[in-house]
Amino acid sequence: MSLLLLFLDELKGFAKSKIMIILWFGLPALAILLHFIQPETEDFPITSLVTIVVSSIGSTLSSIMLSTSIVNEKNNHVYELFLVRPVKRYSLLISKFLAVYLCLIIAVGLSLLVGLVIDGITVGIPEDFLDLIFDSLSISLSSMAITCSIGIFFGVLVSSVAAAAILSVYLGSQLSSIILLPTFFSETLDPVLLALTIGISVTITIMIINIVIFNRKQF
Amino acid sequence: MSQNSCIELHNVSKSYKDLLALNNISFSIEKGDVFGYIGPNGAGKTTTIKILVGLIPNFKGEVYVNEKHLSKYKDLHKIIGYHPQEVGFQEWRTVDHALKTFGRLSGLNKNLLENRIQEILKFVNLEDVRYKKIKNLSGGMIQKLRLSQALLHEPEILVLDEPLSGLDPSMRYQIKGLIKDLAKSGITILFSSHILSDVQDIANIIGILHKGELLKIGTPDDLQSDFQVGNIIKIEVAKDSPLCQGLENIPEIEKVEQLASNLQFVHLKSEINLDLIINQILKSLIESKCNIRNFSVVKPSLEEVYLKYVGGEVK
Repeated sequence: MSLLLLFLDELKGFAKSKIMIILWFGLPALAILLHFIQPETEDFPITSLVTIVVSSIGSTLSSIMLSTSIVNEKNNHVYELFLVRPVKRYSLLISKFLAVYLCLIIAVGLSLLVGLVIDGITVGIPEDFLDLIFDSLSISLSSMAITCSIGIFFGVLVSSVAAAAILSVYLGSQLSSIILLPTFFSETLDPVLLALTIGISVTITIMIINIVIFNRKQF
Repeated sequence: MSQNSCIELHNVSKSYKDLLALNNISFSIEKGDVFGYIGPNGAGKTTTIKILVGLIPNFKGEVYVNEKHLSKYKDLHKIIGYHPQEVGFQEWRTVDHALKTFGRLSGLNKNLLENRIQEILKFVNLEDVRYKKIKNLSGGMIQKLRLSQALLHEPEILVLDEPLSGLDPSMRYQIKGLIKDLAKSGITILFSSHILSDVQDIANIIGILHKGELLKIGTPDDLQSDFQVGNIIKIEVAKDSPLCQGLENIPEIEKVEQLASNLQFVHLKSEINLDLIINQILKSLIESKCNIRNFSVVKPSLEEVYLKYVGGEVK
């Protein structure tokens, strides 16, 4: 009950935040811009390129937003008023993660839609476009989940807003690329399946670590 | 354990690494009491309060609320309303949104909540800003909002951590008035402050905390009476009457101060028998043929009592 309530609340808060508005309008605009910058994509549809670029930028911004909002809320003693009520500490973190992740999926989805329209008008939609989208989307979603969980990690761990933002930018995007690593070493492995497996397991592991650290914090 | 007690703390201690924040604190508050918990900043007031509301689970000692052990009290949130000392709001929320969230999390029904929010905002006089964002509220309004969220679920016990700190005189007066109204309604209140005047005309019991130790607990009269001996006796005579002579010769008197032609303040030495010395002074007054208009033992103000405790004069 409290998790759902907090999730809907956080969704309302993040959806109205400036960063999310930038993501929702800025990322689709970036898709259009990419088409003009790189019109010679030949057989490679702009949709795939858009998904990867846009999700990378989006997840970095989301990671900063998550880490800085948690640090701010910790410093302003926001959690006290929740924790004197029947709210589990993990609900506070999971609701934030899910709310931002959903906002990010919507932003990437919108950009993808713009990319598809551009492809439809310019090069035409390739026969295997569904496979291409699924592949790039799977890798992007896995990477975004890891980046968001890392954002929460730094938010929970540090007490300086600037430090949380810097660490999220540098380490968040770097660490999220680990989902691509196994594909460099083995050509027999399915990169999409691997990305999904690594993405889900790494995200869950980091979130468990986040919850353990958060449970030990005193408010 | 007393049957009427609402809150009981037994030998509660809490340390943060090398710092002993609370050292064997014990006190009890009965139903309907207004307990003023005073002490300078860093005395351990907030730590005690956070233990009581369940925010600090690891401590030594026992705490009982309504005769139930704190660790076993699953519905504690239903009977306690907590007003934290610091901000505690996500500023992107409106007043209405924040109260709705806290109300729902406290288990209030959606339909009832609407009326309750209306009622509370009217009580604290925040109706006009119901749909304003919290970031646009003044410090005093945020303080009222803190009080509102604590009252939403109609708690039996209200725990207020420094509810008057950082407010301008007008807002202090308003919030103090609200606390007085709540006290009259019979709700049990524990509220902390580092300023004694904040609590002295509301609280019926005062606890003085200093460096993690509860130095004194009692009614305001109890605290004042501790300091009667060794203080001052005021003697006022009629305007045409002579002043009392020869008081300086009484060995228990430290000095006699003449403040006006008909007013004397007699400073007594400490650790004396007050009844005996009063008899001696009265005898001198009669011998001097003084026409007495006023003879009283001057009680120290509570502020003086408090300062004597926290200043280390009394242990």
